[in-house]
Amino acid sequence: MTTSGETKAVDQVTELLLEWRQGNDTALQRLTPLVYGEIRRIAHRFMQRERDGHTLQTTALVNEAYLRLLGQPQVDWNSRAHFFGVTAQVMRHVLVDHARRRQYLKRGGDAERVPLEDVALMTNERASELIALDEALDQLAELDPRKARVIELRYFGGLSLEETATILDVSVMTVRRDWRAAKAWLYNAVRNE
Amino acid sequence: MTPERWQQVEAVLQGVLDLPTEDRASFLNNACRDDEDLKREATTLMLAYDKAGDFIEESAVSENAEVLISDLPDLNIGRRIGSYRLLERLGAGGMGEVYLAEDTSLTRLVALKILPEYFVSDAARLRRFNAEARAVSALNHPNILTIHEVGRESGEESETHFIATEFIDGETVRALIDQQMLTLEQIIDISIQVGSGLVAAHAAGIIHRDVKPENIMRRRDGLVKVLDFGIAKSTEQTSTDQIDHSRAFTEAGVVLGTVGYMSPEQARGLSVDERTDIWSLGVVLYEMLAGHGPFRGATRMDTIVSILEREAPPLFNKRSSELDRLQEIINRSLEKDVARRYATVNEMLSDLRAVRTDSAAGITSEPAQPFAHSLASQINNVTVSRRRESIWKTVAAVTVMLLMTAVILTLYLKRNRATVNHIATSPANAMLYKEMNDIERLQFIANQAQRISAMMGDRPGKLNDEALAAIKARVDWYLTKTDSAALEPGAESLDKTHQRAVPFIPLIARSFEARKVPVTIGIYLPMIESAYRTCVESPFGAKGLYQFLPHTAMHYGVGADEMCDAEKMTPAAAHYIADRMAELGEDAQSMTLVLLSYNRGEGWVRDTLRELRGKPDYERNFWTLFAHRDKLDESFRRESAGYVPTFLAAAIIGENPKTFELTTPPLSSLAK
Repeated sequence: MTTSGETKAVDQVTELLLEWRQGNDTALQRLTPLVYGEIRRIAHRFMQRERDGHTLQTTALVNEAYLRLLGQPQVDWNSRAHFFGVTAQVMRHVLVDHARRRQYLKRGGDAERVPLEDVALMTNERASELIALDEALDQLAELDPRKARVIELRYFGGLSLEETATILDVSVMTVRRDWRAAKAWLYNAVRNE
Repeated sequence: MTPERWQQVEAVLQGVLDLPTEDRASFLNNACRDDEDLKREATTLMLAYDKAGDFIEESAVSENAEVLISDLPDLNIGRRIGSYRLLERLGAGGMGEVYLAEDTSLTRLVALKILPEYFVSDAARLRRFNAEARAVSALNHPNILTIHEVGRESGEESETHFIATEFIDGETVRALIDQQMLTLEQIIDISIQVGSGLVAAHAAGIIHRDVKPENIMRRRDGLVKVLDFGIAKSTEQTSTDQIDHSRAFTEAGVVLGTVGYMSPEQARGLSVDERTDIWSLGVVLYEMLAGHGPFRGATRMDTIVSILEREAPPLFNKRSSELDRLQEIINRSLEKDVARRYATVNEMLSDLRAVRTDSAAGITSEPAQPFAHSLASQINNVTVSRRRESIWKTVAAVTVMLLMTAVILTLYLKRNRATVNHIATSPANAMLYKEMNDIERLQFIANQAQRISAMMGDRPGKLNDEALAAIKARVDWYLTKTDSAALEPGAESLDKTHQRAVPFIPLIARSFEARKVPVTIGIYLPMIESAYRTCVESPFGAKGLYQFLPHTAMHYGVGADEMCDAEKMTPAAAHYIADRMAELGEDAQSMTLVLLSYNRGEGWVRDTLRELRGKPDYERNFWTLFAHRDKLDESFRRESAGYVPTFLAAAIIGENPKTFELTTPPLSSLAK
């Protein structure tokens, strides 16, 4: 029922996920545009439907991307978990990258020459905070990798406590506690300094 | 901090966060005993947690949705082309992607336009384009966008053709119109500056041919720049001196994308001179004042008919000498007969300048009021569909417009039947299909098919005999289905279909408009078909009125058991088509592809298009592909052989409800 083109894409994503799980880092690089392209298109549609300022339901978005890239809902929780891991990383990468470019542009020329669209999309404060958060998250990962993962999955990947727990194979209570400790730590690192 | 230390701190932090505020101090003292550092760190984090509130609670994606959407993972960012380094993607248009780039040799910012592959692959077109761009780059005028370089760079696999222009920090007039913030003074000023640029170009023998709000930018300091000068010409495929009408329409539509600013002579495919730019500037002036263009239609065809046949509605009810004179300027720019139009832009300019001088002398009051806004109440009360209005108001306005359009068009078509027939169809149209013999019927279908393709924005190719016979068989079949009442076969059930479609029209129009897709006709066809067709499941799993895959329907919120419900499926199909067409972008004319994709899944559109673009004889024209099916692969051939004729047959029936006499408006004209 799916077309040959779609089938190919699904196979490709599945294969890349597998490679990445087996430790091939370039697989992630190749996955990124696939996942991001899909998420971007879905996000676009969501926004078109909900034009009057509704927030984007990140979980719904990621789930749809999952369905579209990997086909029918699968019982294979492992690949699902890894997929969510990828989407969280992709989104982190994309947003932080955007923030950095914005900072670069601001430094590179006088502030007035920053293109208008950009101004509308992300404020300077927002960009600096995202970059600071990204750096703090790297530091946290060295202290406590699981907490950094929890933040990445929830904040960048948009997952619920329950989904995060499933993916990390820990209890919801653990995720909840990780979340609050990490949140305190990051807030202190980003805003209190 | 070490991981071990962090574990200690965290343990205290978790403990203290479990407690109510009043118990926390003593807990900290007990837990930390003599370790003051531990106590201080835990306290800091505890306080941070209390202060953090919503911090990172809303996911980054929701907070930055706009970024996510607009920010393509663009492999071009950071790339070097010639002496330029790409920094940021500014946008994309028919002529390719535009980037903000740094000119590393001169350390200045430029806008770099990369021409799309399909464009570059046509050597003749590329030559014309380069010649034209070079001519424009010789122009040196403050109101004309400066072209720094027309160049190319050879890579390992391909060549990149690009144009580097000055980077304008400002907004397009399109954006300014949408924001409704232009004052009368600014409107006149912009028109004068555009006019000045045009004068310089005309003096050098260059005609712009595509003056429209998207091609005019205003810098923050107020300086106005006209973009894409003369480039439209080189995008034309052939000289269009002597071509038949239906072809002229689509050629023009394909060339320009937006037809609303086209002069009548351009729309007719006649040769043009500088007066075509005067017309377009008149349209832009009108739009800046009114907030909408003077010539509107649901489809390109309708808009073109409006340009050719209708007078622009007068702008003002409330009169002042200044407004009278602006109206006069517009009237003289929008003379359909070129001989009666302003002969040169200079003439138009001196009239505009006269209005400005009087205006500055204080003849009018309130020059700083956003103009279109204060005018909106005066002009007429059906132009309300601005994005700041609430949804229901928009719906109400669209409905009013629909009804009005319906009435106007009915009257108009009655009055001008001869003209419409002449433009759109053959004389055979006047004869009832049922009374035609087979040869006449085939002739009629050939004409209708071209006309319908043109309405959809597709470029019609000549259908072969087999295709025509296939369509005819289906039209005949539809007519037997509806031949219950003796005198007006089909009228009753088509009216019912029409009535069923009407409530959806605002929704359909919105979903297309949101994605800036101009074509709306496709969506009515399944509506029309649903009056004849039973709801079936195809052998390969496509189901229901629109023959969606259940998987696809699900994406658009329709369950497998609801796929025969026109009320459920129509909005879904509207969104689906609009999505696919938005995705096709430049190739949005390829409606057929979109329709075929109903039962192939959405990714298929993209993949097929990619594949087809790679073929040497690819044309943006799937009717032609249908006619020359030897070019297609097996599965496409099979599917187009079924769906395309059905689609066309339904369109032929549906477009002419009262047995082709065109006494009611085509459904597609009702969309706006």
